[in-house]
Amino acid sequence: MSIWELLGDIFTIHLVLATLRLATPIALIALGETYSERVGIINVGVEGTAVLGGLVSALVAFYTGSPWIALIAAVLAGGLAGGLHALWCIRFRANHVVSGIGINILIAGLALFITSAVWGWRGTSSYSDTLNSWYIVGAMFVLIIASQILIFRTKWGLRLRVVGEKPEAADTAGINVHRTRYVYTIVNGMLCGLAGAFFFNNVGRFTTGMVGGRGFIGIAAMVIGNYSPFGALGAALMFGFIDALQMRLQTYIPSQFSIMLPYLITVLVLAFLIKRAQVPAALGQHYIKQ
Amino acid sequence: MSSFIRWVRQSTFLRETGITFLSISLAFGVGCIILWVAGYSIPAVFANLWKGAFGNRLSIGQTLTKATPIILTSLSFLVAFRSGLFNIGAEGQMYVGAIAAAVVAAQLHLPAVLHAIVSLAAGGLAGAFWGWIPGYLKARRGVNEFVTTMMLSYVAIGLTDFLVAPRGPLHDPKYMANQTARIDLTAMLPRIMKPTQVSWAIVVAGIAVLLVWYYLFRTPSGYELRAVGKSPTAADYGGVRIRRKLILALSLAGVLAGLAGAGEVLGTHFRFVDGFSPGYGWDGIAGGLIARAHPVGAIFAALLMGALRAGGMQVQRSGAAPGDIAAVLQGLVIFFIIAPTLIRMLFRWRRRRAE
Repeated sequence: MSIWELLGDIFTIHLVLATLRLATPIALIALGETYSERVGIINVGVEGTAVLGGLVSALVAFYTGSPWIALIAAVLAGGLAGGLHALWCIRFRANHVVSGIGINILIAGLALFITSAVWGWRGTSSYSDTLNSWYIVGAMFVLIIASQILIFRTKWGLRLRVVGEKPEAADTAGINVHRTRYVYTIVNGMLCGLAGAFFFNNVGRFTTGMVGGRGFIGIAAMVIGNYSPFGALGAALMFGFIDALQMRLQTYIPSQFSIMLPYLITVLVLAFLIKRAQVPAALGQHYIKQ
Repeated sequence: MSSFIRWVRQSTFLRETGITFLSISLAFGVGCIILWVAGYSIPAVFANLWKGAFGNRLSIGQTLTKATPIILTSLSFLVAFRSGLFNIGAEGQMYVGAIAAAVVAAQLHLPAVLHAIVSLAAGGLAGAFWGWIPGYLKARRGVNEFVTTMMLSYVAIGLTDFLVAPRGPLHDPKYMANQTARIDLTAMLPRIMKPTQVSWAIVVAGIAVLLVWYYLFRTPSGYELRAVGKSPTAADYGGVRIRRKLILALSLAGVLAGLAGAGEVLGTHFRFVDGFSPGYGWDGIAGGLIARAHPVGAIFAALLMGALRAGGMQVQRSGAAPGDIAAVLQGLVIFFIIAPTLIRMLFRWRRRRAE
């Protein structure tokens, strides 16, 4: 087989389609994180929130049989997790990263417990009816474009950016800093819930490993995308491409290598391609009203 | 007497432990609600949890065996945490340390004791390297260590799996399983509580606690490390070379996690077995937080986590509830412990009602 035949074997239309699909949850999580970090809230609980979205999708689909209700429930559950994170960070002044870690560990435990209790298998659900996951791919593109406009072209976008850059100034201008932070952290959670629903609809059931670090890769995509929705999409497409490529490569190289490829590339990209991003000035800080 | 009362009211130690115990109680309370909602018998679950963790000599052995690596991974998390960094990659550093220890313990041939020490050192060094990478990237290129430590964990797990899989260079051809050859007798850490698997690894972990405590609170370098965590600008002003400290902190974190892996190989499994860890590295994050980043607290936090793991297995065996209720309890403990304001609010609310 010549090198051209080999390349022709790997780079097919299926690779493009797989890229779009695999980029979708990463883009949704990166978009969510863009919102919450723009208002100053770091949320590393996105990984667990996506797991929760997948779990709730499977639960609701199992009990109601309706993939649409399952989708809505996943988004709401994600919003709930986002709200919990916001409550912990804003009201109880927990360290943002620590609270996110707490969410990840708590949801990982709950996922194992609930799958055992409901289906009797540790960490997996049964198969249910699903939506065509291309709906969520389409929704992702719409959300990215709408968010780009919202954040950079509307007064709400200006307000949310001020809250993350200079909360004192926002407060003086009559913007409710805490409420803004709650709203966009909940939005972040909802987007992660949608990402979790994508994972569920993509394979038809929930497994605890299905998110597998994509939440953290989503955070990396947000950093690489420099806190803008279009940037997040671009970075997510790159990660989706690497993920799609590694699946094709499994035929040619040991699977352990191809599986770790996306994680290795994430480190390399962060290390060598990124100039220091423009981090919101008040990121991770508690705002205490004077 | 009044001075005693003043001490009680002002003691940070009492306040911190008080918050910890209240968080744990609150978590167990919420755990009960979850069990009740799910329709399980609360007394049966807790009876089995206790039986599996402390019921007899064997179960105490289980708890201690599982607590041993968690002590070290908790230390790993908290050393980095003290410098203001998040090392959530102890799992990967542990795998790298374990495989390095397994290679040295099986391939080198040295006299007893020395062989074990050299193997432990190899594990620590390999872990240090795996921690140094994100430390270097953080200090020199500003790369978020949270993401890189996590990503490198996946890389380490994949890489070690490749090395010990059939056709991999370190695979033991005698078995199909993904594992290395059995280590030399001279490199083994002796068992100290037969027939349980408790070994000298727990002593290693104990020594590590003392060393980390001494380093953090009794040496200038440790003081500087904590200063960087408390206020980088002030530390910079005081002449601390911050970047070096960040690299050092993550390398030290790697050493400790690597030792955890080495201890598992030399004391528990006697070879590197793929997937040997049920998540001790992740437990270390929880342990470091529950210990409120104090090295001595790490012992108690790890015991709690080891007990939950051992007890959870018994809950599973007894059929009282899914054993993963232990993981839920662990998550709840952390969730309450990280919001001291919440506990203080609840506490004050209770005091006001009592008046």
